[in-house]
Amino acid sequence: MGNILLRTENLSIQFGALKAVNDVSLSIEADKFTAILGPNGAGKTTFFNLISGLYKPSSGKVFFKDKEITKLTPQQRIHAGMGRSFQLTNVFPALSAHENVRLSVQSAAKVRFNKLVKSYRKYTDIYEETDRILQRILLFDKAYTRAGDLSHGEQRKLELGMVLAQKPEVLLLDEPTAGMSIEEVPVMIDLLRSIKDAGDTTIVLIEHKMNMVKALSDVIVVLVNGEVLCQGDPEAVSNDPAVMAAYLGGGVVSVAT
Amino acid sequence: MIMNKLANMDRLRWIELVLLAVAFIVLLIIPQISGAATITMVSRIMIFAVFAMAYDILRGFIGVIHLGFALFIGGGAYFVGILFFHQGATIPMLLLAVVGTTIYSAIWALIVGKISGKSGMLATAMITMAFSEIMRNLMTVWRTVTRGEDGIAFRVPAPFNDRTMMFYACFIFMILMAFVLYKFTKSPTGRVWQAVRENEQRAIFLGYNTARARTIALLVASIVGGLAGVMFGLNSRFVNTEALGMQMTYDAMLYSLLGGAGTLFGAILGSTVVILFQNFLLDLRPIHAIFERWLLFFGALYIVVVMFMPHGIMGYYNAWKEKRAQKKRMAKEAASS
Repeated sequence: MGNILLRTENLSIQFGALKAVNDVSLSIEADKFTAILGPNGAGKTTFFNLISGLYKPSSGKVFFKDKEITKLTPQQRIHAGMGRSFQLTNVFPALSAHENVRLSVQSAAKVRFNKLVKSYRKYTDIYEETDRILQRILLFDKAYTRAGDLSHGEQRKLELGMVLAQKPEVLLLDEPTAGMSIEEVPVMIDLLRSIKDAGDTTIVLIEHKMNMVKALSDVIVVLVNGEVLCQGDPEAVSNDPAVMAAYLGGGVVSVAT
Repeated sequence: MIMNKLANMDRLRWIELVLLAVAFIVLLIIPQISGAATITMVSRIMIFAVFAMAYDILRGFIGVIHLGFALFIGGGAYFVGILFFHQGATIPMLLLAVVGTTIYSAIWALIVGKISGKSGMLATAMITMAFSEIMRNLMTVWRTVTRGEDGIAFRVPAPFNDRTMMFYACFIFMILMAFVLYKFTKSPTGRVWQAVRENEQRAIFLGYNTARARTIALLVASIVGGLAGVMFGLNSRFVNTEALGMQMTYDAMLYSLLGGAGTLFGAILGSTVVILFQNFLLDLRPIHAIFERWLLFFGALYIVVVMFMPHGIMGYYNAWKEKRAQKKRMAKEAASS
């Protein structure tokens, strides 16, 4: 076993009679690219919401860097080194792309509420870092476009940039390619690959089509009905008869491609 | 260097600067050329401009609907009125009123901050409205001190008893407060306010304590609003429960929305336009009695503005400016290629 960065212990959450996440015990290793797969309604996003603190679990615990974080608020978890993106695009629509990223850099630089007088334009290091990130996510040319006016794919990239700006130790990405057009998907995949290759952050990614992430992933976890069906390297998981049986027609394993 | 900057400036920017300079000079000489009524009215415009700017911090920047904003203009005015009336119109009493108002406003800001962190925008709006009504009723029944709805008329100490001096005090007050609020909105903290307004959940996931951001904005807005109340008391030399009435909150809302929410300067423009228009209509009374009901015309104007400039005068102007700049950029690109 490598170095465990993120761990859940019997994590469950119940909405009425529905056990959206049921007794999930997972260990995510540092510096590995982990993909969480599962059909719609498998509880993937709910699982992320539990890890990132948006929901409180009905039972179970979450550990991050060997410390229990079950009771921490979302923003305490962010400060501890977690970054997450959302399945539905979640940016500041009326602010420019530049400002979206800049706000994230500013928070990471710990310039939060201690500065009330000096103009935000005078923090040149924050500006430089913002430009670097905009270049990395290929949005430098659109820096001063309103985020709400960007295309869907560009908004997804922007969101990724905002999470990257946090310099998180673990990057929780909720379907970064959701709703993207066919042409935009490869760009996002390349972007993810470059982040992985940079090697300074652990990526955990939710996806519901295996072919999208098979080549990128080191570990694949399959989640069905809120439970872990199997976990392993991509080859093993995609050849697992249980996975095949559970998913034929579920749209997870695309046999043709 | 400055000369270079000036030479490179856009023509529009020139016009803006010239207009601002003209407004500045006009304001400077008003007390020399006009009568007491005009001086008091313009002083009132400047005080309400500050009040509306403070409101704009909440409505336009952080996105809190505070329907109890009268708490501050009324609170400040009552501090001045009660202290001057019962303890004597002296400068130390004025300072006491300023300190008292600041503490009073800060306490309300902390209470509202606690509430708005827990409940939604709408609940906050309703609860703050209730707060100001509670305060108004309190002042109504505390007759021994406040004389209830009749209110108290009081003297003010020199130099504020002179209309001209009072005018300049309001002028300085407005410029100072506009500068301070502008600085706040351009600070890193002020930029976070807009993020909270736009998408609070995202701001939380960027690592910001949004409840704290809101409390800071509430503190800034409430204290500035309260100080506007002190000036309001000094200028009116009278305070009754109307100062805590809902109409005060509506006025602040109207001025800032008409001028353009989220622009600060819009609040100054809004209060100027509305108060001038109101006085203009009232002056038409001898022509026809209908002008007595100036609110009728005002409602019509308001509908027109909301229909054709939903983002207020400044919002409309900024959008036009943005479009113009874009056209220019495109022309430049076309010329270079």
